[in-house]
Amino acid sequence: MAVEFKKIEGDSVQYFALVIVLAVVTALGFYAYVLDHQLGGLNGLSNRVPWGIVNAGIPYFIGLSAGSLIVSALAGVFNIKKYKVFSRIAAYMAAAWIIAAILSIALDIGKFYHFMNAVRYFNPTSIFSWNAFLYSSYFVICSVYLLVQFEEMERATRFMAGLAVFWAVLVHSGTGAIYSFVYSRELYHSALTPPMFIVCAITSGLGLLLANLYFTFRFTKRELDPKLIRGLALIFAGLMMVLGYFLAVEGLEKGYIPALHEAVQFVFLTPTSGVFWSFWLLVIFGIAIPVIIVLNPKTGYDLRWISLAGIMHAALVFAERFYLIVPGQVFPEEYLPGYKIESLHTLEGYIVTYTPTIIEWLQIIGLIAMVYLVYVIGVKVFALIPERAVEEVVEE
Amino acid sequence: MMSRRKFLLLTGAAAAGAFLTPQISAKTQFIESPEEVEAKRRWAMAVDVEKCTECMRELIAKTGNPEVKPPCVVACDKENNVPEFEDKRIDPQWMRIAKLELDKPEVNPKEFYIPLLCNHCENPPCVQVCLTKASFKRPDGIVEIDMHRCIGCRYCMIACPYGARSFNFRNPREGLKEVNPNVQMRTEGVVEKCTFCVHRIDEAVAKGEEPIPACVEACHKYGKGALVFGNIKDPNSEISKILRENIVVQLRANLGTDPHVFYTKLGGE
Repeated sequence: MAVEFKKIEGDSVQYFALVIVLAVVTALGFYAYVLDHQLGGLNGLSNRVPWGIVNAGIPYFIGLSAGSLIVSALAGVFNIKKYKVFSRIAAYMAAAWIIAAILSIALDIGKFYHFMNAVRYFNPTSIFSWNAFLYSSYFVICSVYLLVQFEEMERATRFMAGLAVFWAVLVHSGTGAIYSFVYSRELYHSALTPPMFIVCAITSGLGLLLANLYFTFRFTKRELDPKLIRGLALIFAGLMMVLGYFLAVEGLEKGYIPALHEAVQFVFLTPTSGVFWSFWLLVIFGIAIPVIIVLNPKTGYDLRWISLAGIMHAALVFAERFYLIVPGQVFPEEYLPGYKIESLHTLEGYIVTYTPTIIEWLQIIGLIAMVYLVYVIGVKVFALIPERAVEEVVEE
Repeated sequence: MMSRRKFLLLTGAAAAGAFLTPQISAKTQFIESPEEVEAKRRWAMAVDVEKCTECMRELIAKTGNPEVKPPCVVACDKENNVPEFEDKRIDPQWMRIAKLELDKPEVNPKEFYIPLLCNHCENPPCVQVCLTKASFKRPDGIVEIDMHRCIGCRYCMIACPYGARSFNFRNPREGLKEVNPNVQMRTEGVVEKCTFCVHRIDEAVAKGEEPIPACVEACHKYGKGALVFGNIKDPNSEISKILRENIVVQLRANLGTDPHVFYTKLGGE
């Protein structure tokens, strides 16, 4: 028996209520953007911290996109049949998240009506410029991959799966490089960031996918085999530990450099700053607790617990993005090594705080709601999820 | 029902429209070829830290204001339409003065003052990262921003090692009492920075005169003459002599950006 994909009915009151709620939140997000740009001064940004959480949305959404795609498509590449049940939904979500990422760029830039310049002009030395090309082509690849799946073209699907994985790794490494190749800021500069981005993408994308599957199957009253989820959950837990390992290596290396002692002290050991909390909340609630949930036999087989772990991790990966983007801006650079420099007319030389405002949060939450709106409508319009997802489907 | 052909045509036209919207692009026009310019001119600035410190100390003592703007900064603001906003977090500043102190005050507790401005690097990181080539380097070494191209992504601000760039969180006109019509006005949502007073340079070069940026002019008129501007490709220029005869320091030279603001007499020789 092959896997049967089927649209959902989507005619219950609850379904329409969900659509309306998501649409309202999405609209609120865009309204927040309009307010931010028309009135000005509603965000927490400054000339010292010009990149905030709306910017952090870019790598976050791309991570979620690449993550869900890599897992499902890898199953296609290596022909692991049992995960085929998730391949459509993963590809669909990947396309939806990349739209959120591109919109995040659009919301973040200062001149929206110059947006197309990013595509019209190309600067070969700018990593962001390469990414403008990568993101748009990635969306096309996701869409074609989904299309050949709908058409059940076996060989084309396998080829597209391979291409999609390759492109996802490229896109996400490129995104990591936007930040980590910045050599003017010590706290940004790290060769570990791109590989860490890939791991982080898979964990956050997978975590959210697991929760997604659980809720979708539950609300549509379809059958979801916990054994099938268990396998993915173990990959999820394993890679979260790898992420923890990367973070530890990177932090220890920075801490080893005497020139960075003050900065490292500020990032990891100063509880009065948001940077401190973004890191430690990630480590505790984003890595340690989810790993324990999955590995503990009492909770690790329960879909509800696994979903919780997935959501916790995916949510706190946003803190990881904050930890990546903000400290390097908040902590001042030494213009003349050995000398303390304090500007009289700007805030250079001082630790500048950055607290995201509600207006910025609304833009991020609005984009997330938009992705789920696209998903909820998608499962009604397209045959994305299987009638039943159980392990024995494979053996046929 | 729309036919497939019509649909494709419309989609194509919409895509073309999005790509090809007429936009004005500022192109720098030279009478000479870029190679000729590159061989002849490379603009740079030298700062005498001793004189700068003397000026600032006097000024602070006289006004009692530790954040007083010296003549150079005032002249820059005025010349280049740099707005004045009360909130320091978003106030754009092309030129600013910084207090400098050795990390070990027990060894040397003295405080020095230096101006900070765009370094017009030979290998500018801002140009390297700019998505649209809105930030570009001219053959004479000046790093400029094409305001029509800039999308306001602020990648250059992250990449600049010298904090030289400001973002227009607000419309600059709101923070200006008067506007100098000789300098391009910027809008909200783009990045701006010091241009070495490129408009003055181009005008002077066309007339065959020695160019002088507003800050340097003010420094000589009302200050101590700590700033010297000139062409380092000309071995007889004042700046070339200064660079030859002094120990000069470039900020964060280890990054390989090769900044072209040189600091001399640090520590008061």
